[in-house]
Amino acid sequence: MQFTFACKRKRCSNKNVNSTPLPSCQDGERYKGRFTGLSVEIVDPEQAKSLYDNGCFGKGSKSRGAPESGDEDETLLLGMEESCFLAHYLNVLDITNSAGCFMDFHRFVEVAEEQNDKFLENLASYVYLKSKNWVIKSGIKFGGDFLIYKQSPRLYHASFLVIVQKPGDSDHYQSKNLKGVQRVAETSDKDVLLLTVQAPKDISCPRDLQEASVTETIVRRFNYLTFVQSKQQ
Amino acid sequence: MDTKTQDSEFVDIHPRNSYLSAQQLIAHRHTEFEPPSGGLKRTQNEGTASELEELKRAQEYLRAQLSVPRIERLGGRALAIWNAEQQVAEVIRKDGKFENFGYSEQGKLYLEYYEAMFLLEVGRLQLEYCGSVVSIEQAYVLLLGELESERYSNYLVYSALSRSGYIVVKHVRPQEIPQEVTSADCIWALLSEKVADQPVPDHIKNSPFYHIAEKRMEDVKERITSQKTEDPNIVVERIDLQFGQRKRMADERPIKEPASKKEKLSTQGRSLVDQLKSEFTYAKFEDIFEKFEMVQLKTQDYTKEELDTPSALKIIFDLHLHNKGFKKSAPTTPNFNVIILSSQATFPTHDEIAKIKHQSLHTAPLLVISVSESKQIQAFLYYIS
Repeated sequence: MQFTFACKRKRCSNKNVNSTPLPSCQDGERYKGRFTGLSVEIVDPEQAKSLYDNGCFGKGSKSRGAPESGDEDETLLLGMEESCFLAHYLNVLDITNSAGCFMDFHRFVEVAEEQNDKFLENLASYVYLKSKNWVIKSGIKFGGDFLIYKQSPRLYHASFLVIVQKPGDSDHYQSKNLKGVQRVAETSDKDVLLLTVQAPKDISCPRDLQEASVTETIVRRFNYLTFVQSKQQ
Repeated sequence: MDTKTQDSEFVDIHPRNSYLSAQQLIAHRHTEFEPPSGGLKRTQNEGTASELEELKRAQEYLRAQLSVPRIERLGGRALAIWNAEQQVAEVIRKDGKFENFGYSEQGKLYLEYYEAMFLLEVGRLQLEYCGSVVSIEQAYVLLLGELESERYSNYLVYSALSRSGYIVVKHVRPQEIPQEVTSADCIWALLSEKVADQPVPDHIKNSPFYHIAEKRMEDVKERITSQKTEDPNIVVERIDLQFGQRKRMADERPIKEPASKKEKLSTQGRSLVDQLKSEFTYAKFEDIFEKFEMVQLKTQDYTKEELDTPSALKIIFDLHLHNKGFKKSAPTTPNFNVIILSSQATFPTHDEIAKIKHQSLHTAPLLVISVSESKQIQAFLYYIS
């Protein structure tokens, strides 16, 4: 059985033809973000638009997806993993804390790990999937860690619901949990992608993530009845 | 029963039991029961009068459903005797086709417990134990065991998959699948015995071609050594024939069989989410994307010890499709290998599945079937990196 993945195009017309998958700061101006304690906020509307248009990063503070409410005080909120990626792997973002001091990689990871003890695993998965050209969004509304899209959430439905695990975790292999998350994902034509991440023990610079390794598992419900019926004809 | 008087010419028969008429017989063969429809499901005991009434009606309905006299054809059944020691049912009398059931040993046909149970449930088997006929209820205890075991889930899976149209057979381990020994195999084995001093494997020795090939080789040897050739053409021809067979074997085997089969079965070592790399945007920004390609896909290296320890997951059944020409005597590669999970068991992890694949214990894609607490079965396919 060869593996093929679901990739359903949305019905709306293509809004943005000239988008690039990653933002860059060719004109020399770096994006400026402020760490609020939960996420990183981009206040400048132009920068916010540019970040969202090139790679669909972040979420409008007053919208479901892109910042498009039209309100002047709408900001772009970046999740912890994506802001870390933009700041320290793509090197286009400067993050300051609420007092206005610059946050370096070490400090940022420390704060993020306080929030989420799985941050390093999540970050490794984020970088792993990003290097494969996926657009990554939070998966909280489907009960997972990430949702990954082809090109843009505007154009395609998410193909996978990603669940990140540490090596010893067996939570999602409990039959009721796995079946539950699968049913939720299946109603919207997604597959469940389980990533088990062996994170590096000690991380002091962005490059240390090279020590991390990932295994991928996709478990799919299989309708044995329709399979055998389709083969009989 | 019958009275016969000398005066009358008539014979009166008074049957002891009453017999059903033809119409009644047909009506009883397909009695249909409509379940009583009643409002919302109840989740708690309330003890109210209406609830008691509802309960009473439900019980009456069940009783009515169960107490209908059942009509079945007595003849259409095979007869088997349960052997409790070996936990198999020996078929004494066959009835109808038995093509995909049981296995033969020393000329006798035996049924596994799940096969016997299934045939019993569908009314094709009469099972006897210690000289008396076993009822279905007794068979559950006798065949599936009094204590809780995996036998019940195995039977459930067997029955559900058989009913939905698969041929379900006991899992055959890859090395046990009998390879067909051709005469060319025998010639090769003989040659390596003579030239390289390697003993001839048993399965080749048992082949009907072996002795023919051995004889022929002796003949040829005889003719070459004695040089008393009456008809040299035949000798040359024979050698030619052998070479022809040999060549074909060498050419076809490695390309056709193992290479493609292995390729199909394993996705190991490859990522499952690489598809977007073929996109135009990826090619355009490849330099940048490659910069973050730092998190690696884990590749497992197993030590010999790890490989030798048996996996906790057991492949129980093989699934075949009906239209693929399955034969019990010469099983082909199955369509799926079935692993059964009980309701409490956790799903196999990446590493457990990877280990099975690495040990190459499977012969087909693995189908993980979980039996839930409510005895529903659900199948899952695994794709791993």
